Amino acid sequence: MSEPFLVVEDIYKSYFLNGKRIDVLRGVSVSIEEGSLVSLVGASGSGKSTFLHVLGTLDVPAAGKMVFRGRSVFDMSDGEVADFRNRSIGFVFQSHYLLPEFSAAENVAMPALILRQDRKPALKRARELLERVGLGHRADHKPGELSGGESQRVALARALILQPALLLADEPTGNLDPTTGEGIHALLREVNRDLGITAIVVTHNEALARSMPRRLRLHDGLVVPAEDEPAQA
Amino acid sequence: MKRTRLLALAAVLALLGLAELVVGLVRMDVLPMALGDLGALAVGFGPLVDLLAAVGTVVAYPVVTASLAGSVTSAGVGSGLVHVTVGGALWLAGWALVALVLRRPKHELTTPSPAVGKPLHPRLASFVDFHWGTLAAYGFGIFLAEALFIGSYLMLVSRGQVQGGVVQSGLSPVAAFLVAFFLALLLAFLGGFVGAANAKRLATPEATLAFLYFGLPIPIFLSALHAVPTLMLKVGYRLREIVYLSSLLGEARPELGYWLVTAALVLALFLGINTGFVSTSSGRLDLRTSYELFIAGRHVSVFRPRLLLGAFGVLILGIVPPLIIWAIVQAAEAVVERTRIRKLGLADPLAAAEALNQLKAREQTPTAMMTALSVGGVGVGVMALIIVLSVMSGFEADLQKKILGTNAHGVVLKYSPEMPEYADVLSKVRMVRGVAGATPFILNEVMISSEGNISGSMIKGVDPKSVGTVTDLPEYLLPGGKLEWLDEPEKISAKRLTGLSGFDDRPATLDNAPKSRDGHVEDIERDPLLDLPKDEKAEASVVLPGLVLGRELASSLKVVVGDRVNVVSPIGGELGPQGPMPKSRPFRVAGIFYSGMYEYDSKFVYIRLEEAQTFFGVKGATGIEVKVEDVDDARSTMKAIYDVLEGYPYRTKDWGEMNRNLFAALRLEKLVMGIILSIIVIVAAGLIVATVIMLVLEKRKEIAVLKALGVPDGGIVKIFLAEGLQIGIAGGVLGLIAGLAWCLFIERVGIKLDPQVYYIPALPVRIEPFQTALSVVIAVLVTFLASIYPALKASQVEPVDGLKSE
Repeated sequence: MSEPFLVVEDIYKSYFLNGKRIDVLRGVSVSIEEGSLVSLVGASGSGKSTFLHVLGTLDVPAAGKMVFRGRSVFDMSDGEVADFRNRSIGFVFQSHYLLPEFSAAENVAMPALILRQDRKPALKRARELLERVGLGHRADHKPGELSGGESQRVALARALILQPALLLADEPTGNLDPTTGEGIHALLREVNRDLGITAIVVTHNEALARSMPRRLRLHDGLVVPAEDEPAQA
Repeated sequence: MKRTRLLALAAVLALLGLAELVVGLVRMDVLPMALGDLGALAVGFGPLVDLLAAVGTVVAYPVVTASLAGSVTSAGVGSGLVHVTVGGALWLAGWALVALVLRRPKHELTTPSPAVGKPLHPRLASFVDFHWGTLAAYGFGIFLAEALFIGSYLMLVSRGQVQGGVVQSGLSPVAAFLVAFFLALLLAFLGGFVGAANAKRLATPEATLAFLYFGLPIPIFLSALHAVPTLMLKVGYRLREIVYLSSLLGEARPELGYWLVTAALVLALFLGINTGFVSTSSGRLDLRTSYELFIAGRHVSVFRPRLLLGAFGVLILGIVPPLIIWAIVQAAEAVVERTRIRKLGLADPLAAAEALNQLKAREQTPTAMMTALSVGGVGVGVMALIIVLSVMSGFEADLQKKILGTNAHGVVLKYSPEMPEYADVLSKVRMVRGVAGATPFILNEVMISSEGNISGSMIKGVDPKSVGTVTDLPEYLLPGGKLEWLDEPEKISAKRLTGLSGFDDRPATLDNAPKSRDGHVEDIERDPLLDLPKDEKAEASVVLPGLVLGRELASSLKVVVGDRVNVVSPIGGELGPQGPMPKSRPFRVAGIFYSGMYEYDSKFVYIRLEEAQTFFGVKGATGIEVKVEDVDDARSTMKAIYDVLEGYPYRTKDWGEMNRNLFAALRLEKLVMGIILSIIVIVAAGLIVATVIMLVLEKRKEIAVLKALGVPDGGIVKIFLAEGLQIGIAGGVLGLIAGLAWCLFIERVGIKLDPQVYYIPALPVRIEPFQTALSVVIAVLVTFLASIYPALKASQVEPVDGLKSE
């Protein structure tokens, strides 16, 4: 057996509000296999987004370890972490967070440009990816000219352009209506199946959660497997 | 809440104390002496002790003198003492209270968290608050840089011969300065770089301490050399080359040079710090800028035709009118468009809504306006620098031409006052390569008296045949007089009958005198107050030796060509009852010259060399004046002459040395003017800081997204640095073009000046490429420095903070 894909050990993180300390993550430990599709549910404010940010190295925990393919992520230098984020992680947030001054194709190509790849091939791959998510005809429009669902698809394409090992999605369909949302979910499943990308999806959507092969719950600062529960908030 | 009130009270107390102190010092009349200590009070208690000790001396002094003189004027001292005591006590109390209040509050116990005992995350574990290694790097960096500058300059510069000193060949002061300066800048930069790389922070506390304790001693010491004579005698001798270098800026304030160099070294240190931080904070030194420029270009699209044309027009035509015009046009266009939309709305609501949307989209964002303003600001600064410095260069060139026209390029003198062998020396000098002409001279101070007035002047005995090879004197003679008449005085004819200053073209003879209606010669200039001798005409035909004087002197003496003047020399006469009697000799004005420089036109008088020899009892000449072929190389040509004459007892001077004060003053003036005008650029830089900060604030979310996509901190810094730099470069280029355009306008079309007042018909302009380039480079550099702080702030945006989900 090869080394474990992603192992998280003893993550502690707190927030400070008005001088009071709120312990959000209290020793979270979990192991993710390669190629799995995982959903993460939990009550509002339970720290799901915080955990996802820590996984994506966007936030720094107070204590804990994260080992990705045998490398301890928190021991890496700032430059190495940025590199890791660029190559190995793809993000999709609740808001699309696209750069407004750039067209859809340029937005999708941005991670490749950050990796200092040549502009022309990068843009070409971006357009192909946009085709795949069904937005080939909107490649040159700016984000201001796209609808919510289209923007989210562009964000998904941007997350995938460098074929990251890990895709992290934080309530990707939170701002969308059910039909559009279902389109995104289908894309996520397709991406996981066809490209073998490991995906962790934080969601409120029960239907989506139940459709994922592995379900986790963040409860009391710890991550536990989620049981099948009938529509419990 | 209570703490801040206490702090405010304490501060007020300390201020009151300070005010009382000042009142007391004023009452005791010692304020000037104590100003230094008062200033140092801002940083500590020590100076208070010194101050009180000084005050103690002052108190003792009047008591001592009063007991000697018997009168007591201690009223001022008495009340002053009270004020000083109260003031000192209040000041101390105020600061004690501040220290008390600023004490760190007691640490409140927090409940133990669930993470007790777990290994700390590396970023928290490596948190250090003061880096001693960084302090050492900064400190030694700047100290060694200053020492290196002094040391390498002393080693590189060539030293001339000083009595008993060693002659050292080497570079000229300017070349040696440039090399030493560059090396020192490099060292300071390296110190900053290494220190920041070690700390992975800017480490400004360490930098401040390093500057205060390591950077200040050397310039303070050098400045003290000038203030304390014993120091100058003992140590300053070894550093005389440095002192000389600094005095090239201006004799009045040699300290200026030391502090300018120190400031430049601190700047290099600062640049090193920033570079070190930026390069190491991303883990590796990465100077590639592919996507950073791509992103920066979209954020700040400066190079748009409309913006550039607008800014250019503003610069050329001056700020206000085009801005007003533009504002009016914009407003008018908007009104017209809105009217159209309303009319359209009645027919087709959707089309109207679309048009309104487009109108709103076209409106400038505040950031765009600030960008335009910043570009304009930098442009104005650069334009002002270029125009003013070019005009000053023009004046300098004009002055140099005038001085070199009247004066020789170099002079050969002897340590003794006479040079009997001057003909020999003359022939030797004429054979030296680079010499274009040589002429002997005798120089003395005399008084000149005429019927109208008396004046002091410098008299120069010259050889009329060869003087023209060295100066432009023959060309300066006004019509009516001739230089050759010095050799042939019998040709100088009288005189007053042809008008006051001989400006007309006709020679001053009786035939050309203006005549009255009945043919009699008019005596125009009869001064009724003077008693003219009866045998005026007879007197007018006596042959006297010739004399040429300047126009201003002629008009103050009220003489014209042909008039008689008396030259009175205070030396050389026989001994009379009250000491040596002055010698007097009559001369006749043979010509009047106009050089265009007031000092020469009012002070100089020329006679024949042989006349001067007899008059002053001088054998031979005082020295030889030399004209060289290459004016800028005069020094080395004069040195060659020195070598040919085999040194002692001869000595040579070039025009730079003779007019050193004047040109040094001009150069200092230009430097100070440049510094003052650079304030415009600094203000524009402040505007750029504000603009880039606004950009950063506007784009906080984007920065977070970019970081999430994997852009390292250094990349963010590069993006915003590029944005600031774009503004700077656009402004610099625009300013350059506008400045050059204005200079060309002044040169071709010209701005007229009153020649009577300014001695020059139009505003002179001389565009010096180095100066112009330096202006643009400084503007761009200042812009770059101004963008560093906002760019660093931008890189500190944490991804999470920007991405808070709604």
